[in-house]
Amino acid sequence: MTIRSFDLLQPRSLAEASDLLLKHRDEARPIAGGTTLVILMKQRAVHYPYLVDLQSIPGLNRIAKEVDGIRIGALVTHRTVELSRLVRNSFPVVAEAFSTIGNVRVRETASVGGNLAHADYRLDPPPALLLLKSEVTLFGPGGSRVIPLKDFFTGMYETALEAGEILVDVKIPNMPTGSKAVYLRHSALSANDWPCLGVAALVSKENGRVRELRLALSGLAATPVSVDGLEFVRDCSFDDSVLDRILGIVDEQIAPFYDLRGSEWYKRRMARVFVRRAIAQLESQA
Amino acid sequence: MANLAVVGQSVYRKDANPKVTGKALHVGNIEMPGMLQVAVLRSPYAHARITRIDKSKAAGLEGVALVMTGVDVAKMPGVDPYYGPAFRDQPILAVDKVCYVGDPVVAVAARDQRTAEDALQLVEVDYEPLPAVFDVLEAVRPESPLVHERHRPAKAFADLAHVKAGQQSNICYHFKLRTGDVDKAFADADRVFEDTFSSPPAQHMPMEPHVTLVYLDEQERLNVWTASQSPSYVRTELSNTFSIPMHHIRVRVPYIGGGYGAKLYAKLEPLVTALALITKKPVRYALTREEEFLTITKHKVITKIKTAIKNGSITARKCEVFWDTGAYAEIGPRIGHKSGYTAAGPYRIPNVWIDSYCVYTNHVPAGAFRGFGVPQVIWAYDSQMDIIARAIGEDPVEFRLKPALEEGESFATGTLVRSFGIKEAIRQAARAIEWSKPRPVQTGTKLRGKGIAAGVKAVLTPSISGAIVIMNADGTANVLSSTVEMGQGSETTMGQIVAEELGIAFDQVHIVQPDTDVTPYDTITAGSRSTYHMGNAVRMAAVKIKAKLFEVVAAKLEAHPDDLVAGGGRIFVRGMAERGMTISEIFLAKFGSLGTTLAAEAVCQPTAGHMDPETGQSEKCTEYWFPSATAAEVEVDTETGQVKVLQLFSVGDTGTAINPRHCEQQLLGAAIMHLGLTLFEEMIFDEGQLVNGSLLDYQVASIKDMPESFRPIVVEVPHETGPFGAKGAGETGALTVAPAIANAIQDATGVRIRGLPITPEKVLRALAEKKGEALPQD
Ligand SMILES: Cc1cc2nc3c(=O)[nH]c(=O)nc-3n(C[C@H](O)[C@H](O)[C@H](O)COP(=O)(O)OP(=O)(O)OC[C@H]3O[C@@H](n4cnc5c(N)ncnc54)[C@H](O)[C@@H]3O)c2cc1C
Repeated sequence: MTIRSFDLLQPRSLAEASDLLLKHRDEARPIAGGTTLVILMKQRAVHYPYLVDLQSIPGLNRIAKEVDGIRIGALVTHRTVELSRLVRNSFPVVAEAFSTIGNVRVRETASVGGNLAHADYRLDPPPALLLLKSEVTLFGPGGSRVIPLKDFFTGMYETALEAGEILVDVKIPNMPTGSKAVYLRHSALSANDWPCLGVAALVSKENGRVRELRLALSGLAATPVSVDGLEFVRDCSFDDSVLDRILGIVDEQIAPFYDLRGSEWYKRRMARVFVRRAIAQLESQA
Repeated sequence: MANLAVVGQSVYRKDANPKVTGKALHVGNIEMPGMLQVAVLRSPYAHARITRIDKSKAAGLEGVALVMTGVDVAKMPGVDPYYGPAFRDQPILAVDKVCYVGDPVVAVAARDQRTAEDALQLVEVDYEPLPAVFDVLEAVRPESPLVHERHRPAKAFADLAHVKAGQQSNICYHFKLRTGDVDKAFADADRVFEDTFSSPPAQHMPMEPHVTLVYLDEQERLNVWTASQSPSYVRTELSNTFSIPMHHIRVRVPYIGGGYGAKLYAKLEPLVTALALITKKPVRYALTREEEFLTITKHKVITKIKTAIKNGSITARKCEVFWDTGAYAEIGPRIGHKSGYTAAGPYRIPNVWIDSYCVYTNHVPAGAFRGFGVPQVIWAYDSQMDIIARAIGEDPVEFRLKPALEEGESFATGTLVRSFGIKEAIRQAARAIEWSKPRPVQTGTKLRGKGIAAGVKAVLTPSISGAIVIMNADGTANVLSSTVEMGQGSETTMGQIVAEELGIAFDQVHIVQPDTDVTPYDTITAGSRSTYHMGNAVRMAAVKIKAKLFEVVAAKLEAHPDDLVAGGGRIFVRGMAERGMTISEIFLAKFGSLGTTLAAEAVCQPTAGHMDPETGQSEKCTEYWFPSATAAEVEVDTETGQVKVLQLFSVGDTGTAINPRHCEQQLLGAAIMHLGLTLFEEMIFDEGQLVNGSLLDYQVASIKDMPESFRPIVVEVPHETGPFGAKGAGETGALTVAPAIANAIQDATGVRIRGLPITPEKVLRALAEKKGEALPQD
């Protein structure tokens, strides 16, 4: 398997990169770690005469602490997130999500931006990032804009990125005080496989009383799902009736479809099982 | 065993160091000046007539040496454009029609790989789709579309001499076994059990994909370097296909990176030969992993099995086995035959009826796969053994032990079994898993269960292995053998056998890699046959050398040859070590010079008895047997259906272990391979189109899937004519993994899975069905 010849363009700035993408339009594509793009090009499923190498732009591979959270540059590798002290201490659920991806060789090479921009429907990181209400910065011909990650995913392999736009970083706001979060993934084939589904859950409590529940899921619809309508979970305990209501809401908001890792029936069942397990795990840690 | 120096020792493998240090030569490492690289355009249709091929644009691309079609191949002088080990049905490149998605249509040879692949994108092909057939049970019906209009037997192997030119049917081979009166036994039965089991097509997944390099040497002889498990066969096939005399073909095989049956018979060699003959340049074709998926698979099999029980014993069994051999028969008929006759199991059953059908469909061709079809039939019969035992309230282990054949009893084929450690294997498996320990009552969502499975494979018979041993004057030896070293450790085993016989050190033996210019004929490196067949050949050759050495010593020392022994690099009178000669002294005495050699050849050629085509009865259907048992403990998550294998014991009767560690490694390696095949491996097709044809979607077992406790158990029932009592071990650990796990799942949960792989969804569906839940169709 070989790649058809292409030009590797190496911009020194985001502005230059954006210009190149705009100039070559459908003939150009950004490349970060290349773990996904190179496979597709080798299979000759896609071809771009121009690849715009984001690695040549300085400053995109940093994790920065900010007062209200952290900012992860688009070119930070999965492995760096997984091992970062900052992420592990303050956002263990994010480190956990990145640590489950594929294998260590992929994680050493693949980038945070590449993962999100590829917008596969069963990625590991989105649920954890959605749970924490992350935002992404996009840079394009019109300058920078910041949008919630929730709005970034628009369809299967489709994102809000417009022509000439580049994902610059992900901002993760601090975890709510008194909160705990967990990410569970279920692989239906080998232990190394892509997830059949992933479930992230966050519970925050005040004086032992539940203040908030958040849930986000992947693998269960064309895009990752951030579950809405959980506001009623407040000042209550997770008894059977509350859980049933939560599971009912989840069931309404997902739209799973058959793939190699399970039928719709199976995925709906697993959504229930893993949402329950995630909540139970958070409760048992409390 | 008494008085053996190196046989029975777990010496380190000869190939370990060069492989670990990356120094081992593989076909992919060989560079030749001006070598061309190959890319192949494959059919997007499952069955279609080719109406037009335009290769002009591709041929005009800079760097392209040749764009070749099936018609171009057919025009070569003296060529037979079709090849195959059972039927000559597979075109080197599709001639008039394509028979599966992935069927090679056009080949490009170019100065580099990228140019070859670029050129492919410039080739235009028009097709006219034909009706296709994908379901093996549909393909056997008379009204089904025909994959091939006529069948041409190949006559390449003695054991396939009975394959017939059938016509107007997709059934290319039908094996029958009839003994006793099955109908009467079913009529008289207390209970009758009927089940259908299926196992899917799957990949061999050797680390090294297929690769072949062909060039013409200075004498215009055809030189072939290939990753093949059957160099001798490749030479014959190329000779037949291209009408080239055998001495003008040289096939060499260096270390190969795994085979598992995928690299048997001819694969890329005819195509690359055609390209090299036309271009007169060295040509190499290395498959990508994606192409590997489209080249050869494990047979998908459906087995219908019906068993009669009377007074707690099995009185009759009827098996119908359907082998989906895909678009080309490949070795399917041999598998349908050799596995077909074992389909009722290693049990005493007075009335047996077997029909085994090898069937064409428009799928990727299926061929040999570690176990040669036997894992698929054991999946059926040994799952059913468990179903029956549990249904009639018998202990599953006892229920197998009771009818398991004893030494000298008759197999379903009428052949009396010898060196048949099936009972011992079952007992060892049961002991390892602590079968008789009472099970605690379980509650909750994680249920544990234990399962045992047993089964047997017969070695391919007849087959032939020839070897030459050359003794050097310094007391070292070279061994010429066509057994391929593909990781199984045969080089080491052969070295041990020769060293033992000649009384020299293990590291004083060098095994020459297969080279048809110098190494004698060998049927195949497959089917767990090398230790016995090639082991016997090298041993007999060494014995002949020893006799020559004894002759010299006997004359020189005035001793009787019968009183001489070899050991420590010397020949001496038994019990009087000081009365002897070193090998060098013997050579000096015989030749008066030290640069000389002594050579001897030997051939191991076990024969089979005639097998009645109507009844499958034969006085001797096989030279020896491989009894296998596996014990498993699983934990089933009843909420997700996920099965975790906690313990796995792989038990095999290998005969005397020439190298115990190797036997253990084979038992474990085969079990690991079949763990993935049991739990998740499956090639999924949609109307002939492979859906998961890459390693992103097709999963194999990794280190993370290993059981917590995993142990091989070698049972050694010596074989009277095996070298030092040895049989073989390459497939034994593969045979019984799947039913052991399915049986353990039933033990844990009460549900029975009849279709491999046992995915979490299948288990969960079965659990839901058991609870009476209504389920949507998938
Ligand atoms: C063997 C294997 C196993 C895997 N298993 C998992 C798994 O279990 N879970 C999981 O979540 N993922 C998995 N992945 C996916 C992996 O996470 C992605 O390959 C990776 O995230 C892509 O990152 P990259 O930097 O290599 O992107 P690239 O391959 O360079 O790019 C991917 C896509 O994103 C675009 N792109 C990249 N960066 C940007 C940017 N900054 N702005 C705009 N567009 C951009 C590219 O143009 C391209 O279309 C697996 C991948 C492999 C190869």
